[in-house]
Amino acid sequence: MAVPRARILDLMKVQCRVFNTTFNPNRQRLGTRILHERLKGEAVASYYPPRIGTIKQLQALYPEYQILDEKEEDRLEHLTIARSRGKENPKKKRTAAESKKFTRKR
Amino acid sequence: MSMFRAKKLDLGCYVNIRNIRDHTKRKVYAANEPERQALRFIIRNTALPQRVRAQAQLQLSQMHCYTRFTQIKNRCIMGGKGRGVFSDFRMGRYQFRLNALAGKIPGVRKASW
Repeated sequence: MAVPRARILDLMKVQCRVFNTTFNPNRQRLGTRILHERLKGEAVASYYPPRIGTIKQLQALYPEYQILDEKEEDRLEHLTIARSRGKENPKKKRTAAESKKFTRKR
Repeated sequence: MSMFRAKKLDLGCYVNIRNIRDHTKRKVYAANEPERQALRFIIRNTALPQRVRAQAQLQLSQMHCYTRFTQIKNRCIMGGKGRGVFSDFRMGRYQFRLNALAGKIPGVRKASW
């Protein structure tokens, strides 16, 4: 018992509507396969564990408490001491003339 | 490339430059994945005009290499190794052994029969 092609196409159309696929009786390459792929970027990006529990995060979470960042304070103290002794970092050179290393001063 | 890299360290695992680089690539890939997939769809869709598809091909090939999935490699989160990494545990084989014997990996025990 042969089924007419039109009936089969109707069936395919309904099938596509039910399963939310593209009706493509001529079997053209429409690239719908790519649209059906799931995006994996989020899973890929969360491979490495995030950095948590830093003092900055704690401070942001609990602004009503005073949380001391000892390392940062030590660093700032060291910087101020160095600055007072005139041992700070040299200023950034902005122009080519300034950055010439071996310019002679006479 | 350093322009994609986070300005502050955002990794909680073992850190070396290769791990940071891989992490950067992963983030860039995640950000650009929809665009890449859209271009790929245009390229594969034979119903679209040839000119549009060729342009999409060009655009896809000119995207930065960090947006490509093939750039991404699973690395050990405990020691940064790139080879012999179990993807289920994200650890190199030796780190896996050490941590498993120490009982730090749930559901893993040494086989004995």
